[in-house]
Amino acid sequence: MAVVRAPRRLALDRDGIFLLLAATVIIAALTIPAFRDPANFANLFRQAGVLGILAIGQTFVIVAGMIDLSIGMIAGLVVVLSSVLLNGNAVLTLPVVALMILVGAGIGLLNGVLLNTLRLHPLILTFGMLSVLQGAIFSFTDKSVGRTSEPLSILANGDIFGIPWIAILLMGLAVGAHFLFARSRFGYHLVAAGGNPESARRAGINVERIRLAVFVISGATAALAGVLLAGRLGTGYPLAGNGLELDAIVAVVLGGTLLSGGRGSIWRSLAGVLMLAVISNVLNLLGVSAFVQQFIKGVIVIVAILLNQPRGANA
Amino acid sequence: MPLLEVRNLHKHYPGVAALQGVDFSGDAGEIHAIVGANGAGKSTLMNLISGVTAPTGGEILLDGAPVRLTSPLAAQAAGVATVYQEFSLVPQLSVARNIFLGREPRGAFGLVDEARLNADAAQLLLRFNIGLDPRIEVSGLSVAEQQLVEIVRALSFKARILILDEPTAVLSLSEQDNLFAIMRQLRGEGMLILYVSHRLEEVLAIADRVTVMRDGSKVGTRPIADLSMDSLVHMMIGESRRSTPQRSAVPADAPCFDIDYTTADGTQAITVQRGEILGLAGLVGAGRTTFARALVGAGGRTAATRITVNGTALNNRTPEAAMRGGVVYLTEDRKRDGIFAGIDIIGNATAAALPLLGRLGLRNRGSEREKSQSILHRLRLVAASLDTPIGKLSGGNQQKVVLGRALMMAPKLLVIDEPTRGVDVGAKAEIHDLLRELAMQGTAMIVISSEIDELLGLAHRIVVMSDRRFVARMPVEAASEAAILTAAAGGTMTNEETA
Repeated sequence: MAVVRAPRRLALDRDGIFLLLAATVIIAALTIPAFRDPANFANLFRQAGVLGILAIGQTFVIVAGMIDLSIGMIAGLVVVLSSVLLNGNAVLTLPVVALMILVGAGIGLLNGVLLNTLRLHPLILTFGMLSVLQGAIFSFTDKSVGRTSEPLSILANGDIFGIPWIAILLMGLAVGAHFLFARSRFGYHLVAAGGNPESARRAGINVERIRLAVFVISGATAALAGVLLAGRLGTGYPLAGNGLELDAIVAVVLGGTLLSGGRGSIWRSLAGVLMLAVISNVLNLLGVSAFVQQFIKGVIVIVAILLNQPRGANA
Repeated sequence: MPLLEVRNLHKHYPGVAALQGVDFSGDAGEIHAIVGANGAGKSTLMNLISGVTAPTGGEILLDGAPVRLTSPLAAQAAGVATVYQEFSLVPQLSVARNIFLGREPRGAFGLVDEARLNADAAQLLLRFNIGLDPRIEVSGLSVAEQQLVEIVRALSFKARILILDEPTAVLSLSEQDNLFAIMRQLRGEGMLILYVSHRLEEVLAIADRVTVMRDGSKVGTRPIADLSMDSLVHMMIGESRRSTPQRSAVPADAPCFDIDYTTADGTQAITVQRGEILGLAGLVGAGRTTFARALVGAGGRTAATRITVNGTALNNRTPEAAMRGGVVYLTEDRKRDGIFAGIDIIGNATAAALPLLGRLGLRNRGSEREKSQSILHRLRLVAASLDTPIGKLSGGNQQKVVLGRALMMAPKLLVIDEPTRGVDVGAKAEIHDLLRELAMQGTAMIVISSEIDELLGLAHRIVVMSDRRFVARMPVEAASEAAILTAAAGGTMTNEETA
């Protein structure tokens, strides 16, 4: 009985994504000269920024044993709404961004309240919300409307000392999220609620409140991603958010997080996001057509997830 | 003054009195065992003391003052800690995080003080000589280690009363010794330990006093010095209520199923004849269901059986193959792997026999209905319409439909796990009659039941399992509740033959 075991330091199922990412980057850098260009790296991070922010929010949701399909459309709604409200007016930037985040958090709150009161499966509930938001966007406009503001455009596309602003923002957010996730009571209880809700309840943890909180976090981060997406696009393109929720989920799962909840990390999710970005970047550099890219990406994702799956345990 | 006292405690569920006026008390510095047969009310009593359910009458006193324990948390706050039979740890969290789940110490910036958390946990573990690193994840621990973590967690609430419900069911002998050492240490520190167990030998080894329950009432509390295995069993079963219903004779030359059961512990053999009902007795966790599932190839990798009929081996690698060979298993857990709740009675009754009833892979609703009708009529099924979803039927009627499904396969060896669990008295008698009738028609049967009365009433022969082994075999004429219980509880008795 008296066996002392040290915690695992490195395990393939847990840290595989970092190795995979490193290997891919090294191979790409060695074989494709254009990949090595610092400007290409900056570009890669700009492309990964929006998805990274979405993936952070989704990590909270998935670790809590939930899923949120509505984030793509929340981002899409924010793209349109913020562009219309700003219409190129720089002065309004801060209040509009604040308002958008409130809107996102509000939709997340609604998701959480509905989930807790109606006891619906989160997949069904947030799919419904996806559809509702999509309908709302398209009844409002079916073509690009409004214009984003200068500060947002700089934040989304600009650099400082060659480092994209969006990458700095993402890192800041990730550090904050990591502490919340891995070091706060909320983070501990989140893992407990996702891992074994019944035990969490017995330990006096309010599981319903945690679920509410993760949907609010998810909604708010989706709105932030939407504002930046508008900055990148320059205008309120109504289709901007389509499919982003799936990319975010794939990135999180690629990071080794189980959809069954109770396990996950912000850094691994971000590694998943970078992995997706690197794959697309490499295929672009190689001049692979967009359709073939879809195909190759799909195959790579499936293989990567298979390799990444924890063997045996609750798969 | 006793530390814990309950007075005239009642618990009624609609239609059932689970507890009828129990008086009970326990002192500080005592290991107090609670024993009784299945359904005696032990768990109900523990649930009331640990705040899981509220009593419908009576009161609970701590240090002589009445308390209302409205939730497990309230009970914890009052000093009652419970280690549940099914574990309540979060596998993905570390040992330390589990111990202090919901009560993590906070340090700088409101973040959890992980260092203090681990140090506090290490100190608690050290106190009980448990050599576990508080930082490792619970999912990597053995069941016994997890249980120790549970106990440490329970104790971290500064508990004065510790409830252990069947704690040794999953432990090996050395792990059990370890647990007992911890229990004695806690007793020395003035704790009252309420120890619920089926294993009478252990009870006799560790307890200071024993309270025996039967049919929702207390039979009595005795100091351990006044008790022996015999007297304990006698208190548990009370007056013998044997009835001897008719039993068909098993023809001496009937063909025989020879079963070799192989587990990690080795291979054991049992046989059952056509026309014979073999009753399989044992406590929860003795391995009866594992054996039954292995018989039809649903057992997984740890257990396997080889069935030969008159020297010919039978293919039982999958339930489907076993069924083709005439071996059919009826689950103990209807809801989980018995019924299709949303499908109608016909669909449920014919689920296994569909290929026989249709043609070219198409279903034939007409013949399904006809066949269902004839079999369910024989089972005296009461239902408004055969198109009713089975989920809407009573437990007894559901069981009849599932039984009907098995009969449609014309089984030669029928393995029934808990044939009357969750079934009302009337349907129970009907199911018993039906099983007897099947035996008379030449079906071999293995009936698993936790109700010893049921086995004594049905079986020709009884085999008792304990700790995954067939520990005793007896013809029903020689069997008694006491003998079965003694063998099942791991006691010694005169075995006819030891496998």
